[in-house]
Amino acid sequence: MVIRPTTSRNLSRLLRIPTQCRSSSQSSSVNAAEVSHFNNLASTWWDPYGSSRLLHQMNPLRHDFISSCIESQPDPTSSTNRRYLDVGCGGGIFAESAARLLWTKSVVGVDPSSQVISVAKAHARQDPLLLEPGRLEYQNKAVEDLPIPRIPEEQFDVVSLFEVIEHINRPAPFLSSCLPFVKPGGWLILSTIARTWTSWLTTNVVAEEVVRLVPRGTHDWSKYINEQELRRFFRAQDGWGRDGGLKSQGCMYMPAVGWRMVPGGEKWGNYFLGVRKDSTRS
Amino acid sequence: MIGRGFPKAPRSYICPSCSRSFKLQSRRHATAASPDVYDVVCVGGGPAGLSLLTALRSSKATSHLRLALIESQDLERARTWNLPPDQFSYRTSSLTPSSLSFLSQIGAWPNVDTSRVQPYRHMRVWDGLSSNSRISFDALTSEPPIASMTENQNLSRALITSLDDLPIISLFDKTSVADIHLGPPLSFPAESPTSLDLSSYPHVTLSSNHTIAARLLVGADGVNSPVRTFAGISTRGWDYDRHGVVATLKLPPGTGHSRENPQRVTAYQRFLPSGPIAFLALPGDYATLVWTTTPPQATRLKALSTEDFVAMVNAAFRLDVVDLNYMFTLDSGQVDELEWRESVHPGNKADLGGETPQHIASVQEGSIASFPLRLRHASTYTTNRVALIGDAAHTIHPLAGQGLNMGLADSRSLASAVEHAVLHGADIGNEIACLDRYNEEMWMSNNRMLGAVDKLHWLYSATSGPVVGLRGLGLRTVDALGPVKGWFMRQAGAL
Ligand SMILES: Cc1cc2nc3c(=O)[nH]c(=O)nc-3n(C[C@H](O)[C@H](O)[C@H](O)COP(=O)(O)OP(=O)(O)OC[C@H]3O[C@@H](n4cnc5c(N)ncnc54)[C@H](O)[C@@H]3O)c2cc1C
Repeated sequence: MVIRPTTSRNLSRLLRIPTQCRSSSQSSSVNAAEVSHFNNLASTWWDPYGSSRLLHQMNPLRHDFISSCIESQPDPTSSTNRRYLDVGCGGGIFAESAARLLWTKSVVGVDPSSQVISVAKAHARQDPLLLEPGRLEYQNKAVEDLPIPRIPEEQFDVVSLFEVIEHINRPAPFLSSCLPFVKPGGWLILSTIARTWTSWLTTNVVAEEVVRLVPRGTHDWSKYINEQELRRFFRAQDGWGRDGGLKSQGCMYMPAVGWRMVPGGEKWGNYFLGVRKDSTRS
Repeated sequence: MIGRGFPKAPRSYICPSCSRSFKLQSRRHATAASPDVYDVVCVGGGPAGLSLLTALRSSKATSHLRLALIESQDLERARTWNLPPDQFSYRTSSLTPSSLSFLSQIGAWPNVDTSRVQPYRHMRVWDGLSSNSRISFDALTSEPPIASMTENQNLSRALITSLDDLPIISLFDKTSVADIHLGPPLSFPAESPTSLDLSSYPHVTLSSNHTIAARLLVGADGVNSPVRTFAGISTRGWDYDRHGVVATLKLPPGTGHSRENPQRVTAYQRFLPSGPIAFLALPGDYATLVWTTTPPQATRLKALSTEDFVAMVNAAFRLDVVDLNYMFTLDSGQVDELEWRESVHPGNKADLGGETPQHIASVQEGSIASFPLRLRHASTYTTNRVALIGDAAHTIHPLAGQGLNMGLADSRSLASAVEHAVLHGADIGNEIACLDRYNEEMWMSNNRMLGAVDKLHWLYSATSGPVVGLRGLGLRTVDALGPVKGWFMRQAGAL
């Protein structure tokens, strides 16, 4: 049942893993293969019936999870003027939606693939709201290449990593490099999939081998990370997750119903995890 | 043409600061004909379109959206519609409790003149061919009425008034749609990479030559929806070869149920082979008639003198089908014919203790009209940046009085999909992020309703054969089974 949102987002992430490993934003030399790859992506990323459909359908749940994290704070902040950093923004499904929210001040989306950033920028032009200066900005960079913020004003209320870490070779240093971008009292929010027999079956066997929903090799099951492993990582971080500021929530795609939050689902399938940077360090 | 109550102002989804930037943007790249961009452009100011706009305006999450309404009629006339208490419009609809709750929720119901609305708690339905099969629906006094008869104009006036009370909306009335087309494609990459790309936005050119662009274009433009044509959405269905003859009936002074005993007000429907005839009480000594019949019989009815028309209506609720058919062959003289037949069969004359409606006395002058009846269902309600609601999406046989209720349910559903989308940052014109939700919620349930009403029509069109016996059995069985009947009643009021 846990059909992985196997999508061009993931596919493209796979294809751009070399770029990501080099941690480099120097990928501007455009060759014919990349152009046709870009064209492919451009036509499917926002195609309602394309391979990103499941991701589009999941997007509202991301906002619901973020809201539930913020509402669970002992000191729920008034939610206006929120700043977002979306790491691995792909074609901009989440970044665009975050930028449209009434309480959003600005969104920065970063992705090391220049092709998907072009897709994201081209798509944002369809919405006059998103063209408002400062509202939505895309940078063709790996997060490691962004300047580390020094003051809270440069930091973000929400740093999001949706369907990213399962594609990263060494997740711990990658997560560590995301932490400085979160404002004190802000949240790091991620979604990924647990490494269980269910997920191995549904994503590697069913989605790739049987249904061929995605090309073989899109998923590397050994890179999946369990919720307990992430909890352990964040508990070890000083200044994070105090006062219930570490939350997770399973979710599942049900055919004919769509995505639903499923309590306990974090143990065996897709899940969200949010961790809060303590608002004051004592 | 901008209506008085709707000052036009550049307010937007885009929020004040960004609408400014958007204007700069468009000025930089636009040609002289650069369109105004609205979040929602609704074509059609009937009950479906008006209720959608009212719903969007009344919800906190969507009240900032920039809305435009295009309506070919003069909405000022609808706004100032007024009839004396002894006259009723022949376009009346039975509003179900869920329609009423929706109208209350969006703040429109308080603007309805309820002295002109007639709720009913009882219904008598019977078969013209097997007269001992009857079904009665009775809501308890404590329960909500089965439905409330409301003039369409009373409802439209209330909706327009509530829009006047709410913040601004751009209104183009006495204006029809001249053309709908997509925005020009960008000559990528020659254009500036930051220029606005409206190539996916429907652009509506008005009869005034003004063009506006829509993030979401709503077709609430009735059966022959130009928006549906633009979107290339096909429809399925057929014409029934039947007309609905409507009229405002007058009862003998002082005999209207509503006055004597409001709790007893009853709706009557008799299934004749050509289609059902329905008597729906209005306040005081008035009622509305909806008589489904063949086009030649409709023509005959409309050609009769008022007295003979009245005799035909009284006959249709009482006489045998054979007798009624005979009376249809007469050019005139139905009054005498009915009198004679009732004197021969005095049983026909009695009102059977409330089992048939009382004899009507006359018909309000100029209130007889007829409409062709058809079934149409759009293959989908949505495509990219387009949604259809109301009769543009589905046209139903009036025998269950559901058409307008279905349109209101569409509005409620689409408004809530838009609300969900706005609260989750989605583009409200996007199918997956917004419109699919509406289509999935309404298409199947409307399709079931269309199918059920269509089957009823064909079932009761049969004049002979086993089906006549079976349907009598059906009505008797349903009547005998309390819980099943309750289910039927809920279905009737479900929309
Ligand atoms: C005999 C009969 C009895 C009925 N009884 C009932 C009943 O008891 N209960 C019930 O619920 N329903 C009933 N109905 C159905 C009900 O009247 C309709 O379903 C309802 O009016 C549909 O509302 P709407 O807003 O979708 O469309 P409409 O009321 O048809 O409104 C469409 C609007 O769009 C405008 N328009 C169209 N084209 C353009 C254009 N190009 N440019 C600008 N404007 C345009 C039109 O002027 C019109 O105002 C009955 C129908 C009939 C025929």
